[in-house]
Amino acid sequence: MNRLAAGSTSDDRARSSAGRRQVAIALAVAGVLAAMPLVLGPGGSYFTRLAIIGLLYVASAAAWDLVGGLTGQVSFGHAAFFGVGAYVTAILVRGGIPLVLTLLPAAVAAAAYAAAWGWPCLRLRGPFFAIATIGVGEATRLAALLWEPVTGGATGLTLPIGRSSALVPYYLALGLAAASIGIAVLVRRSRLGLGLACVREDVDAAESIGIRSGWIQVQALMISAAIVGVAGSIYARYLFYVEPGDVFAFNRSIGLILMAIIGGVNSVWGPPTGAVLFLGLEQVLAAWFPAAHLGIYGLLLIAMMLFEPRGLRAIVSRAC
Amino acid sequence: MLFLQVLVFGIILGGVYAVMAYGLGLIYGVMRIVNLAHGAVLMLAAYGAFELHARWSLDPLMSAVLIVPAAYWAGILLFRHVVARVAAGPALEPGQTAAMPVMLLLFGIGLCARNLAYLVWTGDDRTIALSYGLSTIDIGIPVATTRVIVFAIALATTAGLFVVFRHTHFGRSVRAVARDPVAAELSGISVPRVSARAFGAGTALGAFGGVLLATLYVINPEFGGPFLLKSFCIIVLGGMESMPGILAGAMTLGVAETAAGVYGGAAWQDLVSFVLLVLILVARPGGLPSLVRR
Repeated sequence: MNRLAAGSTSDDRARSSAGRRQVAIALAVAGVLAAMPLVLGPGGSYFTRLAIIGLLYVASAAAWDLVGGLTGQVSFGHAAFFGVGAYVTAILVRGGIPLVLTLLPAAVAAAAYAAAWGWPCLRLRGPFFAIATIGVGEATRLAALLWEPVTGGATGLTLPIGRSSALVPYYLALGLAAASIGIAVLVRRSRLGLGLACVREDVDAAESIGIRSGWIQVQALMISAAIVGVAGSIYARYLFYVEPGDVFAFNRSIGLILMAIIGGVNSVWGPPTGAVLFLGLEQVLAAWFPAAHLGIYGLLLIAMMLFEPRGLRAIVSRAC
Repeated sequence: MLFLQVLVFGIILGGVYAVMAYGLGLIYGVMRIVNLAHGAVLMLAAYGAFELHARWSLDPLMSAVLIVPAAYWAGILLFRHVVARVAAGPALEPGQTAAMPVMLLLFGIGLCARNLAYLVWTGDDRTIALSYGLSTIDIGIPVATTRVIVFAIALATTAGLFVVFRHTHFGRSVRAVARDPVAAELSGISVPRVSARAFGAGTALGAFGGVLLATLYVINPEFGGPFLLKSFCIIVLGGMESMPGILAGAMTLGVAETAAGVYGGAAWQDLVSFVLLVLILVARPGGLPSLVRR
């Protein structure tokens, strides 16, 4: 519990100065990222494209950690939210609604979907919840493949390509990443975050002091899903194309787990850091070892579990 | 008539599914480890059967004699040198058990195995063409010979496991550890040793299931994934650790899938196990046995 920024404790002053430094660094990074496309100009299209994906990773990884880290319920099914968000946007944009107005419906749809299966499934703990999420994720993908009139089946949906440049999704992704990290901080400071930490440590004890463990876990999943849904929405606008095999891919869910594990679960900065490293790793693997990327993710996971399951965060905190 | 066919085909399918799921159930029952590498075991064993058939035209049922012991020792080595170390190591969060790290570790092993299969055998579909592969047996309705043979082997395996768990020292010590590791240790059972052997036996059973599946389905590197989820579905249906439960769960899934395939179309067949998995986990975490006990 002492790891949570809880309120008036004795080392409050030290923590708030550390917090101010973190905010300053975060604002500086955000400022540099916001200026990047303007500095690079038209030559920066590779950077912009890579950064959109990276920022969506950052946003999603921080959101995943609200459930996988803070609540301690490892989800193998977050691609479902990404896909729901992407599809809601695709369908609405095809219906003539401007992109910016589709972000909210995407978030709401993803959160509603999270509530629908989170409510029953979050009663399960540990491996059981994880298995159920594998089932939900895969069932969602298959359902999207089968529901051809709406989702276009395996061929997917193409979005009308407008005049707008890649800068729109870039700034949306940047805003989402910032918002996601901000939400991660706020949730951890809130009553909800404290309740979730209690549930993670001991469900029975949490319930005995009056925490409604089911409901607050559903809340965490809904917040997480809404962010990932908006990420899917921005992704659909960026790619102009959605297809179940891509947006609902199991590998997307695995990617989020890897990002959080690499950076260190249950922390504000661990999963976003992991997301950036994962993006770099993905690029290196795609360029030099396209045939071995699965195996290298696997080896990475094995090595992390053998030597430091708590991720980079623990390695850094030991070194400092 | 169609209904009868669905029932018979489903039960025959359930036989193979049971063998496929026993390994997962055994490892969970003894160590509370969810073996996410189980799909990889099925897949590698299937490729093993494919290779032995392609090179030395060895019948898959004969190649099991080589593959199963190899899987047993591979499982024991993996457990001793990797899984047990992570299980004894730190958790993702202080104060929790190492269950999640072990699960993620095994998932990583599964990813490596899948990649290995892509490198060695490429992503192409492989099949084992058996001389008796196209013949059928008439048991009131025509059924493929391979399916009947595999079903008979599955029943024999079930019976064999039953005898092993009831009447051998190994089987009894496994059950003791599953029931209460501390009490088992106190009565002179070496828990690490029994755990390693149970992990080996679980891997060996998975490999045997993989060999049987290889005679019925096309093999590719993604072979394991759907069968891993189906195995989960089965052990969850079966109440996680009882052998008769797993057999009943396998038959249930077999019939449900066949019915979905016949009445709904092939695409629905894959959806059945996922939906059933989530429904059962949520509504009846005790699986089918909890229905009977009421």
